[in-house]
Amino acid sequence: MVEIGLGAALAAIGAGVAIGFAGLGSGLGQGMAAAGSVGAVAEDNDMFARGIIFSALPETQAIYGFLVAILLLVFSGLLGGNATKLTLEAGIIAIGVGASIGFAGLGSGMGQGMAAASSVGAIVEDNDMFARGIIFSALPETQAIYGFLIAILLMVFGGILA
Amino acid sequence: MADGIATLISALGLTQETFLVFCILAVLIVGAVVVIITSRPILDIYPYLNPSARVRARKGRLFDEKQISELVETNDVEEVENYLKGIPEYADVLDEYPLDKALDVERANTYDFVARVAPKDIKDPFVVMSKKSDIDNIKSLLTAKEVGLNPDETRELLIPCGSLYDELESLADVDNVTDVVTSLDNTEYAAVLEDALPQYEDTNMILPLESALDKYYLGKLLRSSDVPSDENKQILYSYVGTQVDVANLKLIIRAKQDGLDYDAISPYILEEGYQLRDWKLKDLMESPDVTNIVSGLEGTKYAEALTDAIPVYNETGSVAVFEKALDVYSSQYSKSLASKKPLGIGPIIGYLNQKESEIKNLKIIARAKREADFPNSKIMEMLI
Repeated sequence: MVEIGLGAALAAIGAGVAIGFAGLGSGLGQGMAAAGSVGAVAEDNDMFARGIIFSALPETQAIYGFLVAILLLVFSGLLGGNATKLTLEAGIIAIGVGASIGFAGLGSGMGQGMAAASSVGAIVEDNDMFARGIIFSALPETQAIYGFLIAILLMVFGGILA
Repeated sequence: MADGIATLISALGLTQETFLVFCILAVLIVGAVVVIITSRPILDIYPYLNPSARVRARKGRLFDEKQISELVETNDVEEVENYLKGIPEYADVLDEYPLDKALDVERANTYDFVARVAPKDIKDPFVVMSKKSDIDNIKSLLTAKEVGLNPDETRELLIPCGSLYDELESLADVDNVTDVVTSLDNTEYAAVLEDALPQYEDTNMILPLESALDKYYLGKLLRSSDVPSDENKQILYSYVGTQVDVANLKLIIRAKQDGLDYDAISPYILEEGYQLRDWKLKDLMESPDVTNIVSGLEGTKYAEALTDAIPVYNETGSVAVFEKALDVYSSQYSKSLASKKPLGIGPIIGYLNQKESEIKNLKIIARAKREADFPNSKIMEMLI
């Protein structure tokens, strides 16, 4: 069995939190946007492309979470390295890294899903709402970006990406 | 620092593995709490997302003011019909039926559509509304038999919608009103019709039968939405309740105009109104005349709408002005409800309300265009 140090084990929890919660938020958001889009497409076939765009918007949170999780797994040595070298402090920081993008992604994804579903409804009622719908739907992305940035900074200055 | 943390873990009497297990448990507990808290609003919103988009798509295709003006400016009813044939929503029904019937079919289709897509929690009232076409068809059948129309003429009056259509169409061949009532003994309307039948046989007027059906419909509608457990249902209850109050008020006003007293009106009124409760309705029914009904409504949300109509009523003597005022009030109130819950029931109520107004307006335009030289300005005044 591969030997895993406590630091790497904590980093594994961090990676799980990162993709788990970010993926949850992204999934819920995408589900909401897709539910609205399906309703719109059922009434107006021309809404398919726009529905796909709005349904894809909440995907980004899961991508951020996935990236952070991969970085944690690689730099903790769990993926193709020495899984005993990560220190205990760095392991605890890794949990903070995961929580940062995980929870930010959860809130951001859900918020974006609601905004996107509502925008799809507005566009199917009035075509001119497309640009404004995109702007409103993009707003909740910022929270995920903040979470992602902090996660990267924690990894850099916490000694994980050293 | 690592040593400090390791010392702390040791001081707590934990091994590294136990510490890891505690970390995992902490993450799971925090995660569970976050998921429970955040999923609640999602669960409230989720069932409405698909229906909202569907009704908003149809709402976007409703006529705007410019199109209504174009319809008003047409020269005759054929032009109105041709204009509507260019609109996908009306083209199909107009291919099959004459204008008025096509509009009735479109209205019935709208209620069917909403009853089909409405989320489970709020479905019941919309299902009741979708059965209105059955009630309208029964009333048409009763009217046809009362005036002695032949089977073909009777069938012409029926709207080809609703769960009872086939059965009602076959009843076009029966001889009289009593046979229609007895033939409906396997339907949900049997009890109310049979209760009202003796009154019909005494007076030889179908009004008691029609009123019994209306009362049954409104009662069922009100009861189907009378547990407002969340905001969506509260909005729905206000919407349905206002319709019941407006129906009661129209009936009382018309009855008072005809000089009827409390005993004559009360059997047709749904006592458990929404804002107008039984005691208030009793007061209104006991009012000596129409203007006293309006003053008796002081303190209710209907007072202002009807008070503004009094000068026109005094001038014309027609209660139609009050009926229009109530329709306009009902429409505006529904519009205000529609904006309250954009990710909930709001778009559904907004669509139903606007579609109902659109069809009423199209009927007004079609009726006016059948009359020679009916002024367009007058039509605009009549629109809701």
